Amino acid sequence: MNQIQTVTSERTGEMYYVVRHSSGLKIYIYPKAQNNSSYAVFGTRYGSIDNCFQVSDEPAPHRVPNGIAHYLEHKLFESKEGDAFARYAKTGASANAYTSFDMTCYLFSCTENVYDSLKILLDFVQSPYFTEQTVQKEQGIIGQEIRMYDDDPQWRVMFNLLGALYHTHPVKIDIAGTVESIAKITPQLLYQCYNTFYNLNNMVLCIVGNVEPKRVLELCDQMLKPSKPVSIQRIFEPEPETIVRSRVEQKLSVAVPLFEFGFKEQAANGRATSKQLAETDILLEALSSPASPLFRRLLDEGLINEASFGHEYFEGPGFASVIFSGESKNPDAVAEEIRAEIQKIRRGGLSAEAFKRAKNSVYGRNLAALNSTGSIANSLVSLDFAGRELFSYINAVAGADRDSVLRRLDSQLLPETSALSVVSPVQ
Amino acid sequence: MTGIEQRPICDGVNFRAIRDGRFKTVRMSVHFMLPLEKKTASANAILPFLLTRASRKYPDFTKLNEHLADLYGAVLDADVQTLGDVQILSVSASGIADRYALRGENISSDLSDLLCSVLFDPLLKDGQFPEDGFSQSKRQMIELTDSEFNDKRLYALRRCREIMCSEEPCGVGRFGAKEDIRSLERSSLTSVWDNLIRRARAEVMVLGDCDPEPVYRRFSEAFCRLGRASAVSCPTKVVKSADTVRQTVERQDVAQSKLVMGFRTETAEPDKDVPAVKLMSVLYGGTPSSKLFLNVREKLSLCYYCSSLYDPVKGILAVQSGVEQKNAGRAKDEILAQLDLVKKGGFTEEELKAARMSLCNSYRTISDSLDGLEAWYLSKTFSDPLRRPEQEAARIQAVSREDVVQAANRVTLDTVYCLTGNEVEKQ
Repeated sequence: MNQIQTVTSERTGEMYYVVRHSSGLKIYIYPKAQNNSSYAVFGTRYGSIDNCFQVSDEPAPHRVPNGIAHYLEHKLFESKEGDAFARYAKTGASANAYTSFDMTCYLFSCTENVYDSLKILLDFVQSPYFTEQTVQKEQGIIGQEIRMYDDDPQWRVMFNLLGALYHTHPVKIDIAGTVESIAKITPQLLYQCYNTFYNLNNMVLCIVGNVEPKRVLELCDQMLKPSKPVSIQRIFEPEPETIVRSRVEQKLSVAVPLFEFGFKEQAANGRATSKQLAETDILLEALSSPASPLFRRLLDEGLINEASFGHEYFEGPGFASVIFSGESKNPDAVAEEIRAEIQKIRRGGLSAEAFKRAKNSVYGRNLAALNSTGSIANSLVSLDFAGRELFSYINAVAGADRDSVLRRLDSQLLPETSALSVVSPVQ
Repeated sequence: MTGIEQRPICDGVNFRAIRDGRFKTVRMSVHFMLPLEKKTASANAILPFLLTRASRKYPDFTKLNEHLADLYGAVLDADVQTLGDVQILSVSASGIADRYALRGENISSDLSDLLCSVLFDPLLKDGQFPEDGFSQSKRQMIELTDSEFNDKRLYALRRCREIMCSEEPCGVGRFGAKEDIRSLERSSLTSVWDNLIRRARAEVMVLGDCDPEPVYRRFSEAFCRLGRASAVSCPTKVVKSADTVRQTVERQDVAQSKLVMGFRTETAEPDKDVPAVKLMSVLYGGTPSSKLFLNVREKLSLCYYCSSLYDPVKGILAVQSGVEQKNAGRAKDEILAQLDLVKKGGFTEEELKAARMSLCNSYRTISDSLDGLEAWYLSKTFSDPLRRPEQEAARIQAVSREDVVQAANRVTLDTVYCLTGNEVEKQ
């Protein structure tokens, strides 16, 4: 039997259903009846960091080549009956997929034939088909994807930073792997990863838009192949508290230098809670938004520009960092100013006005994200994998208090765990 | 189905509103349009950035941003883009709808006041824009130009267009040349601003969950008070076809080559054949089931991306791909071979139907986002009659196979641009 639960948000006037499907799959259905379009995501809790794992009923862990989760994503589009894109071509849906550090998602958006498109999604993700020949063909395509990222300064500056922050955690490895690592991928390895991680108990389906929940569930009943419950252990070597190096620089064909400045945190066993996340987001907003004294100082000194300067909380299984990024003629001076401002807040706190402003901004931004079916669908999936929930996060923002926000500084933004990554012009 | 309300404010100024309670936000924008010319492009382009830094009511950058943060992270944004040979200078304000304010604030009224304040009542000292705001805007504009150089895919696309349109106004680019930005003088800008608000054609848009009536009144009052002169006309030059092929190779320190090919299509707005070229472009290289994707990427494994894009205002079709340096020639040959195939009618009914469905799907999706709606109606500024995206989808449905073949046969190659690595090719 399927178990259905309703989740509502009075504050935003929104609601969705969560279904524990008898096949083992968790399904989110978020109706937006007045929309033209619908957006669906079928995701698995499996990403680039899962290069070493052990399944509950097996005696020893497996280590697999770097980049295999992403390779699998590419290859899953092919099945015996042909290519999934060719099938979507008959429904008019716009389809895509992505692999991140900790998940792989297959998605489509469409304005008609939504149930036919959903059927294609559920079918091809559950129908692996890997042969020597099809695996071989992808080497050239992914090889060029990797080369494209080699020239992408934003990508390079991020992975150089992760390499400076992390000693052993696989988050420092490029999601697509390298030309050498993907050369080791075989159909057998793809099947092994598929059979481990594409178990419905390890997956989530989410559909947002102009859909009838009843019809979605009927289709799921028909299409989902029940999976045996499984427990998968992700194996990470112990990650030291320290960073690897405090500065890293690479030269590329750029006209203006780019930087990422990160603060590594002790990642707890579980993931950050909605409350912790809301507090961190407010803290970072107060620290470095365009309304902050830091932003103004950096601007007056000509050290940052408004188009590129920003912050993010980069958090996942076994890793957590605060990262500031942007373009600057002098990234070291930016890093110095950020460190100084953190110390200032640590000593003097935040004014009630600055706190309220930061809270308002974070609240407004998250409310605005509810306009987009794609943004909602992708958030629900990633929040589920992190053990969080969309509306309680928004409530946590609205309910945050100044003292708790400041207490985040006890474990965050510690000066001794910071590193600066710079990409600067050749010559 | 979303209805658009439109009415004139005064000569050359038009008001368009879509009221839709589905959205959590409201977006208001004013778009000024002037003909692109080398001698005025940079001076015009700096204005949206300069104006959004401060106004007489909000003379300080930080105070202005504090006000925006108080309004739940409202965003005041400046943008410059081109539409054919026209330069569009935009200032917009977006924020959450009044009903979601935690303390009952009237956000939409504040946003329209703010927009009017920065556009019509700027901060001037002795009749001039202050030095600090001017030098900030100038520096950041130069850095924006530099950051376009950092993104090689975008850079190659822009370079190809510059070369192809070197004898047309749009070849100047949205900001004008970097040396023209450098030599901007503060003293000249007050009259450039005066020309902008009094002579440029303007579109005021109000989209989202907001009553447009008070906003209309606010802008109507502000524009009428200016005593506007007759609006400057904004023609666009369309080059129908190419006689010879321009070839350019540029070398930089890059890992992957970027190939961009620019074609003339003999067809531009308001020709009745525009929908046929749109559909042809999608069939040729607009989706993962298009000719270019299936052959250049999937069959030959030459690249990760290979796609075509049609600009109906200029009548230009551009094909772009990222390839290994040694494969650039093969990719170019295959891109042309696939075009020849379309010219000869070498595509199935299924391929045609798929392209049609995909294109109609993207048109029907537009009404689900405020950004999509704004971009759509802005691109239709000079179109008569004004069509909703859903009406454009209906026109696409009416395009026949023969129309597509004819559209392809009007296409001529104008420019081949290749950005490539410094290594000289081994023979």
